[in-house]
Amino acid sequence: MGSRSPSPRPGGWSSPGLNTPYDTGGRSSPMRAYPNGNHNVTWSSAQAKSAEVKGYAAFNPRGQGFLGRHFRRISTSLPFSYADKEKLGRGRHQSNSPIEVLKRIGRMLWRLRRSVGLFLFIMLSIIIFYVTPLHRVYRRSSVFGGGSKFVIILAANQGGGVMEWKGPREWAIERDSVKNKKKYTQKWGYDLEIVDMSTKKRYAHEWRESWEKVDTIRNAMRKYPHAEWFWWLDTNTFIMEPTYSLQKHIFNRLQDITYRDINAYNPLNISHPLTEEYLDPETRSPVGDGKVSSINLVIPQDCGGFNLGSFFVRRSVWTDRLLDIWWDPVGYEQKHMAWEHKEQDALEYMYANQPWIRPHVAFIQQRMVNAFPPGACGEKGDDPNIHYKESDRDFLVNMAGCEWGRDCWAEMYSYRRLSDKLNRNPWEKFKDWISDSVKAMRGGDKKVEKKKDEKKKGKGKQ
Amino acid sequence: MPPRKTSRPPPYAARQNRGGVQIPYQVRSLLRRERLRMIALVILSFLTFLWLIGRIGGESGSTAAAIIGTGPDVVIVTVLDPKADAGWIEKIKKNREDYAKRHGYLTFFPENDRYDLKNSPSSWAKVPAMRHAMTLNPSSAFFWYLESTTLIMEPSLPLTSHVLASSTLEKSMIVNQPVVPPDSVIKTFGNLKGDRIDLIITQDKDGLALSSFVVRNGEWAKYFLDAWFDPIYRSYNFQKADTHALEHIVQWHGTILAKLALVPQNQINAYVTGPANQENGQYRDGDLVANFPGCDKEKRNCADEMKPFFDIADRKARGLD
Repeated sequence: MGSRSPSPRPGGWSSPGLNTPYDTGGRSSPMRAYPNGNHNVTWSSAQAKSAEVKGYAAFNPRGQGFLGRHFRRISTSLPFSYADKEKLGRGRHQSNSPIEVLKRIGRMLWRLRRSVGLFLFIMLSIIIFYVTPLHRVYRRSSVFGGGSKFVIILAANQGGGVMEWKGPREWAIERDSVKNKKKYTQKWGYDLEIVDMSTKKRYAHEWRESWEKVDTIRNAMRKYPHAEWFWWLDTNTFIMEPTYSLQKHIFNRLQDITYRDINAYNPLNISHPLTEEYLDPETRSPVGDGKVSSINLVIPQDCGGFNLGSFFVRRSVWTDRLLDIWWDPVGYEQKHMAWEHKEQDALEYMYANQPWIRPHVAFIQQRMVNAFPPGACGEKGDDPNIHYKESDRDFLVNMAGCEWGRDCWAEMYSYRRLSDKLNRNPWEKFKDWISDSVKAMRGGDKKVEKKKDEKKKGKGKQ
Repeated sequence: MPPRKTSRPPPYAARQNRGGVQIPYQVRSLLRRERLRMIALVILSFLTFLWLIGRIGGESGSTAAAIIGTGPDVVIVTVLDPKADAGWIEKIKKNREDYAKRHGYLTFFPENDRYDLKNSPSSWAKVPAMRHAMTLNPSSAFFWYLESTTLIMEPSLPLTSHVLASSTLEKSMIVNQPVVPPDSVIKTFGNLKGDRIDLIITQDKDGLALSSFVVRNGEWAKYFLDAWFDPIYRSYNFQKADTHALEHIVQWHGTILAKLALVPQNQINAYVTGPANQENGQYRDGDLVANFPGCDKEKRNCADEMKPFFDIADRKARGLD
């Protein structure tokens, strides 16, 4: 043990084999001795010095921290005999007692404390940001995401309510639809306003029955005073691509994806632009003032004209006026029999007859926000301007008119399944790929034939 | 022998040149660099400024010609019936033109067959006429519709300060008044600011009087006039056509009522004959406008009824000239 005892000279009689980072001859810093003019260059001090130059941080005896400073004291107080320690030091015998292992792990972690710390920090950030609702806060904030600028108004209980029986299928449709929008709004930090249309039938004289869009939008505008855009959605809609944000999909490029001149697609044959000499140039222009800031209403057109199953309206003075004038008792009295689609027909009428409306309406290609399934606007469902196309990953499907002779629930179910399938994460895709390939290997040709038969049957039904 | 150097050097070297004319090389180069940077910064900020100016100018450039309020304050609009007596029409026109000239206003006299009314009564022509006047004079702020049955009697009284100034308007507007007398549940709003008013109109005994009203130019005016002119109302057979249509939209649509101010009838529309407002409708000397409602209808003759008033107005105009 003579060599291990504190030597009279700084640095001790160390030899390379015996030198451990903590064995520095009892001094916290042998290096001090060197620059101060004591020219006792010992092996260990020279090695430590060169280690310092080379940058081997782990061997730098400076700033050893808690363990380094107190190692000796702690280790002597442990119930170990020196003999054992010597054996360990010489590398002849490896003690595998759990405490030693733990110590070694601890030492390793201590050496890697920077990278470990960074790793832990990143993990923690990810957890805080994505698992807790922090990312919702971030996406809502006006600086980063701006999600609080958007409100989805979902009309639930449409056409049901008091007058009609609502069966399990109707409930299931509503549940799916609501869940779909809830998930979407939560993901992007939007607000969701679910409107129970059945309770709105409170007009004693029954005049305004089912003309509640206007009131509903107005209420939503009052309820969310900081939101800018309000997206109206019917019950029978399904957001197929929840990864599209409204900002990226539509509003950041509103100018490019909307058209102001209805002649681009004009199923109603509305004559445009207006030509009356008494109108101002902006009203007579086919595109209004052409600026994106003047767009207050964004509507898709289907094969029969405007479609209000999915449209956007912006909070503005103009919108207040539109919502105010939209329902008028004289118009209602004269036209409510002719206007089968209520607000939709009224809006078409106003667009055609009240010039002030045109400069603030923009139209959007239907499939951007309101793709139709087969059965609406054509049995085949192959119109590239109207019908949902899986390969193009259309944003939303509106099962318009499914309550008349089509199966709403079946459509909703199949589109939900399709959306889930299209938006699997890589792990799910991998799992599905394995199970599919296993199935294919096992099943062989029989199942494939069966599937084909099923498909044929399905087509026959449609 | 040169003097001996001191063995103790001074702790700091003395400066060679007093007055700081010679700047050390390093400092000079730094200064030069600083100045270069400064010049670059100035140039850059100037360019940015130019660009900003250009942007702002570019954005308002298209509408620069039509900033509301930069043109003549008031445009007087009178729709004329081409079948009426030409002499009388000339007198009516001159009455308005004299007044407009005196106060720097403009006039606009379209004929009532100019607009396609689709078989609705010709009284509807006032609506597109107002819209037309706004199209022709986009920089004017107020458009005063003055029916051909009226005469301006007090040429020295400018409409702007007499009626339109927001402080005057706030004082004179009648609040909490049933829009259609006597007992409509819809009443004029009570807490409106004068500069938010876009439609100034009077009420006679029967209801809103459309023979004289003022509309402020702007987006609201387009909305109001277009909604009023909707074919649904024109084909509805309202008993009094445009008047009843207006009463209808005012009562049913809050965005219109909120912009409407009722002023005492004698401010812009005093009746000489006919169903005047009992409180303030009858024409008295000194009122801005004298109205002979219905004088253009059958069996009556505006020229005859107005004759003494033409003389008074002429004398007043000349006396002040």
